[in-house]
Amino acid sequence: MAGLLCTDPGRRRGAGPEDSAVRCWVATNRVKTMTAIDSTKLLELYESMVTMKLWDQTALRLLQEGRVLAGYHSGRGQEAIPAGGVAPLRRDDYLMYAHRGFGYTIAKGMSMVAMFGDLMANTAGATGGLGAGIPHFADPELGILGQGGTLGSCFGIATGAAFSAKYRGTDQVVVCFFGDGTANRGAFHESVNAAAAWRLPVVWICENNGYAVSVPASDSIAGRIVDRAIGYGIPGVRIDGMDVTEVYRATCEAVARARAGEGPTLIEAMCHRFRGHYEGDPQVYRTPDETERLRALDPITNLADRLVAEGVVTEEQLAELASRVQRKVDQAVEEAASAPMPGPERLYEGLYV
Amino acid sequence: MSRTTATATRTLTFSQAIRQALHEEMERDDRVFVWGEDVAVYGGIYGATAGLLDRFGPRRVIDTPVSETMIVGAAVGAAITGLRPVAELQSSGYFGIAMDELYHKVARWRYMHGGVFTVPLVIRLPEGAKGAGPEHDVSPEALFLSASGAYVVIPSDPADALGLLKSSIRDDNPVLFFEHAGLYAHRGEVPSGDHLVPLGKAAVKRKGSDVTVIAWSRMVGESLRAAEQLAAEGTDVEVVDPRGLRPLDIDTILESVAKTGRVVIAHEAPKTGGAGGEIAAIIAEEALEYLESPIIRVASADVPIPQSRYLQQFLIPTAASVIEAVGRLD
Repeated sequence: MAGLLCTDPGRRRGAGPEDSAVRCWVATNRVKTMTAIDSTKLLELYESMVTMKLWDQTALRLLQEGRVLAGYHSGRGQEAIPAGGVAPLRRDDYLMYAHRGFGYTIAKGMSMVAMFGDLMANTAGATGGLGAGIPHFADPELGILGQGGTLGSCFGIATGAAFSAKYRGTDQVVVCFFGDGTANRGAFHESVNAAAAWRLPVVWICENNGYAVSVPASDSIAGRIVDRAIGYGIPGVRIDGMDVTEVYRATCEAVARARAGEGPTLIEAMCHRFRGHYEGDPQVYRTPDETERLRALDPITNLADRLVAEGVVTEEQLAELASRVQRKVDQAVEEAASAPMPGPERLYEGLYV
Repeated sequence: MSRTTATATRTLTFSQAIRQALHEEMERDDRVFVWGEDVAVYGGIYGATAGLLDRFGPRRVIDTPVSETMIVGAAVGAAITGLRPVAELQSSGYFGIAMDELYHKVARWRYMHGGVFTVPLVIRLPEGAKGAGPEHDVSPEALFLSASGAYVVIPSDPADALGLLKSSIRDDNPVLFFEHAGLYAHRGEVPSGDHLVPLGKAAVKRKGSDVTVIAWSRMVGESLRAAEQLAAEGTDVEVVDPRGLRPLDIDTILESVAKTGRVVIAHEAPKTGGAGGEIAAIIAEEALEYLESPIIRVASADVPIPQSRYLQQFLIPTAASVIEAVGRLD
């Protein structure tokens, strides 16, 4: 991967100066396309993103209906990153997922019934009713290691899981997703430094959507997140996080390096969130015009257009795919909804072994 | 109370007992590893990990960067993926640097993820006054009273240091293991063989009928010295060492209180916010009818601990403080 060390990046397109509220990033020198993506894989990635989007729409509907007992951070607009970043993983690889949407765990194969159960805080949930909304579900069989509500705790746990894989002599890899806001937590430095010093098999994927809740990245991040890789002596690459093929390729290569014992990689995926930080976010920090313009960058419709233009699929086939996925999502909701709420005894279960 | 496979004893310092426990458990289980600042080549600033690198090599005895957040957080990551970490924070005063990891991750990762993980780790936390100043000399065990999910274990002598640490390493619950730095050089008899002390079982370190002194860590030795002197004066003191705060052996405490009717609680941490308040409240709730005198707490005053050992002598409770407290009981 000559030339991968902090490859230059991104140049903005059509959205004004660097400190403009709207950031449209396009990688100029993309990651070398050593990873071939055939049409079957492209369709898989597309279906993965569609599943995330339909999941998200369904979650928002449940929220509106008052069936979700907590907040929800929509992942709409950022599907390319969990889809392209999780697809290269094996079943036994480890995942530290971020808080936006449920795409990471959907892609890793977690039961949708369990996830909807957690959204609805009932006993179908992976946590058995501890839900809800902002997930703390996990599945050790699938390498899904959970999530801390104090964002940034993912870093230490990812380093520890990667240490564990190396210690046990496996070739398991850890992928840790986090946002640009979380990248400013001190745990980032401690954990990325240790993982680099010990050449641990971890891939750090930063989703830079330009906002830490309400604060623009330009007001809170010195330099570029990807350039921190230079300081740790690890490969770093900034990519277009709205393009699932780019995320998939960059992650495949980083995972291959990690699996080969060549240590960590930092990927900064530039992206946009289409909705607020949370549902109900008044978004006073950006204009309606900005959110409207973002629609043109939708990673799902853009890939759909490309698939149709290249003759991989027809519009009809895509519509069929969407209805098939919607049925799957609906079935999961239905099954999850039939589970009872936990009783007060649930509070006292599972604290100690 | 302790289970041993042999009856012979040997004399070890508290520090040697910690090292012995680590050695034995690493010998027994390849999943056990040790990491922390200066624990490998240097052998730990208190010598508690000396010799482990030579015996077990750099795969299992690891010098970390000065990164407490990572040390604790990554220990959680290793624990939920099949290992049994024993991490050392060089001073328990660094708790603040790793508090999110200690309080929310170590203690709650299992619970908040629906019990699908176990978090079998031990965080070793050297504590107590030793002339290192207000940030290093703290005894912060009471901060973790509300960190349900984590055990809080505190040995007071070499035998318990060995047996409690071995049990902590084998336990599938996470353990915060406090070691008073002033005790490391203390010598004591330690049973030979596979010496295990069960967690959550208090030790009656001295039987007595007139007064119950509940003490842990360094204050156990101070209380035993006080008891000898008080015995000469005709007061028979029972010294109960809970050996930690969670699990808390309330039964043994209440049994002693029911017998004596008089209670002194002694710890080195400042009185306000110290665990003595919690234990006094439990006794008040459960056994008020047995009390013949108000409960008295022996503790440091509510001031930061000065670095000056000269001034520390006026602050840190000793045997004399326990004797004075017993004298004030009705």
